Amino acid sequence: MVTVDTAERPTESTPRPRRRGIQETRGYRVFRVVNGIVLTLVVMVTLYPFVNIVARSLSDEAYIIAGQVNLVPRGFTLDTYQLLMSDPLFWTNYRNTVFYTVTATVISIVMTTCYAYVLSKKQLKGRGMLVGIAVFTMFFTGGLIPNYVLVTSLGLKNSVWAIALPNAINVFNLLVMKAFFESLPTELEEAAAVDGLNTYGILLRIVLPLSKAIVATMVLFYAVAFWNSWFAAFLYMDRQELWPVTVYLRNLIAGATGAENVGSITEANEVQAEATLKAVTIVLTTLPILLVYPFVQRYFVRGIMLGAVKG
Amino acid sequence: MFRRSWRHAAAAAAVLLALSSVTACGDDPSDSEDLSENRAGAMENYTAGTQFKATEPLSFSVLYNNHPNYPLKEDWLFWTELKSRTNVSLDKVAVPLSDYNQKRSLLIGAGDAPLLIPKTYPPDVHAYVSSGAILPVSDYLDLMPNFKDKIEKWNLKAEIDTLRQQDGKYYLLPGLHEKPWHEYSLAVRTDILEELNLQVPKTWDEVYTMLKAMKAAYPDVYPFSDRFSQPNPAGNLLNMLAASYGLEGAGWNFQHVTWNAQAQQFEYTGATEQYKQMLQYLNKLVAEKLLDPESFTQTDDLARQKLANSKSFVISSNAQTLVNDYRPDLAATNPKAKITKIPLPIGPAGEINPASRLENGMMISSKARESKNFVAMMQFVDWLWYSDAGQEFAKWGVEGTTFVKDAAGKPTLAPDVDMIGLNPGAPKHLQKDFGFGNGVFSYGGKPELVQGFFSPEEQEFQQVMNARAPKTVPPPYPLNDEEREQVSLWETPLKDHVYQATLQFVLGQRDFAEWDAYVAELKSKNMDAYLEMVNGAHKRFQEKN
Repeated sequence: MVTVDTAERPTESTPRPRRRGIQETRGYRVFRVVNGIVLTLVVMVTLYPFVNIVARSLSDEAYIIAGQVNLVPRGFTLDTYQLLMSDPLFWTNYRNTVFYTVTATVISIVMTTCYAYVLSKKQLKGRGMLVGIAVFTMFFTGGLIPNYVLVTSLGLKNSVWAIALPNAINVFNLLVMKAFFESLPTELEEAAAVDGLNTYGILLRIVLPLSKAIVATMVLFYAVAFWNSWFAAFLYMDRQELWPVTVYLRNLIAGATGAENVGSITEANEVQAEATLKAVTIVLTTLPILLVYPFVQRYFVRGIMLGAVKG
Repeated sequence: MFRRSWRHAAAAAAVLLALSSVTACGDDPSDSEDLSENRAGAMENYTAGTQFKATEPLSFSVLYNNHPNYPLKEDWLFWTELKSRTNVSLDKVAVPLSDYNQKRSLLIGAGDAPLLIPKTYPPDVHAYVSSGAILPVSDYLDLMPNFKDKIEKWNLKAEIDTLRQQDGKYYLLPGLHEKPWHEYSLAVRTDILEELNLQVPKTWDEVYTMLKAMKAAYPDVYPFSDRFSQPNPAGNLLNMLAASYGLEGAGWNFQHVTWNAQAQQFEYTGATEQYKQMLQYLNKLVAEKLLDPESFTQTDDLARQKLANSKSFVISSNAQTLVNDYRPDLAATNPKAKITKIPLPIGPAGEINPASRLENGMMISSKARESKNFVAMMQFVDWLWYSDAGQEFAKWGVEGTTFVKDAAGKPTLAPDVDMIGLNPGAPKHLQKDFGFGNGVFSYGGKPELVQGFFSPEEQEFQQVMNARAPKTVPPPYPLNDEEREQVSLWETPLKDHVYQATLQFVLGQRDFAEWDAYVAELKSKNMDAYLEMVNGAHKRFQEKN
């Protein structure tokens, strides 16, 4: 998505002033047509798999097996959706996903912003070491079992904290944010200090209002990551009513495809849903995030570009 | 890192143990036999056939493999009835079936595992033995009269021996079958057989003639296009053929070594003459365009599509794929089509049933040994998983509620209870609403029990298969830790090379004249050293036991 957006931007913003005054050259018009075609193709290539998934999720199993479903659903049916949504556990787990995502994103944003803001101050003593501590974790991790033992002995198991706290700061996001804060003019903050604001006031009243773009970007990054994540929940949640919907759906697919499951016997109607099941799963888990995307997207490109170029 | 530190700890523990046994002058009764501190709640006179009931209410933690088709419910009749029959409640750690093995490893590694760890397959146990986290259950068989009884009555000693580790003990309580239960074979379009006036093939040679006749009638079709090729090419087909040629296993059940009873030693499966013959057979099928070369790489869905659209007539199958996949697919595309699972074709090894009589089973955390309820727990495990009454309870439920028995004692589902469509439209479901027939608690047993829910068609298939001789079980060759580590380093390159060469030979990219060169390549990948280690371990085990 990022590459498409950045490619599109200059073509959209540069021609506008030209169009009014100077007449477009022939070459430029050809370029615009070719450009339009190429970009339309790109859109189609990106969109096709998703439309196909939606079509599959609404189609009858037999048509999918026969390989006849492309863009339009065949033998329209909502059976798989009904099968999934009639399960109360699905809704419990969906609610968990929303709850975990919101909580973890809020915590992550607060933690990342604080850390990044501190690191952006060049006069800070030991700044190099603080950066080093963060970057170190990009290369070395404690490993699965030590992490598990730590989280368990802190008593975080079976709670949202097991998901939110160990992943609260993503170092990549931290560095992007730090670069963004560094790019803000120091004069602003100095002026605010002269006018009597303390450090927290500067952060809350001056810096953050100027950083909506990067904060929105980070919200999107974190929210998508937490929404899609299943591993932490799988590790630390010992009861199914605590699982997020990703674990639920992952398990459902494993049960329907049955590779792990030689000994037990599955139901005909449930296995029937197997071909559509994956498609329905993808639709149901991506839809909410897709709905959020358009609202945050305008900040998205700007935010990450600002950080990247000046950092 | 973690494994190594465990190994150091284990080595240190071993040294300590050795020292303590020296100071204690050897043949002291080991403390594993003194169970006087661990008898709380246990029954005094528990024998095979006794109904187990703890003398006080007990609770044991259990790792629970949560199947999405019947997700865990606390109000299942299974739990309440179990409590009233045995006075035991189970404290479940629910793990999604999709990643059960990973969580199991994690919990055992972190020392946080529940006491009972079911749904473990025999080869998975090796990884945990050296950590000391798993109980050597073979030391405590006296607490498990039903388990011992079944091994003796069903003559399972040879199978059980394959579970033994280097110390001569075993760490898994496997699922026990009286008769081998073989599931996989070929599904064949019988309407095409009728149309071409062909008999159902009994041997692999007859399979060849059948495919040939199909090809003659339908020249544009690859009559045989197979599935189960991921992650291993032709996983099921190669495995079926390997068994029919007298090998230990190939494909998705690849076994590096096969026991040669005449030479009294292990041979490398991929380098045997039988393996070559089996590849030649497959190569013949491919060369004559009887077997779709894509069989070795395509997805299951694609293979199903070809069958559904009559672009192939033969495919690998088990009882479920036949009923759940092929028949509904064909019903939608070609209502006249008929398809059936044929008895496993016979090869040079004769009429054998290649299935193992051991199934996945249960490990027990070694920390359970410290519990004052240890004896009661072992009795409970013995009753629920290995007694006839416990097995019937776990599978069928409560007589009069979930099932009824006829005069001959044969159980059938109660009319208002459904299971795999046996009582279509019934308001309740044996697994979802009652918690019986649950893969965690119900497996193995007598053939009547195992086949309880099978369709008449599948029972017929099982009857044919049960008439065949069970496969002879190879002798055990338990490796020690260093050997196992060494062997696992050799195994991957060897296996990769066998897979690669298998495809090359079968698809005709490599000539069978190069077979010796291929064997030499295996040798350069330490095949001989591998065999030496395995045969050495086998001899060592024989001398010791």
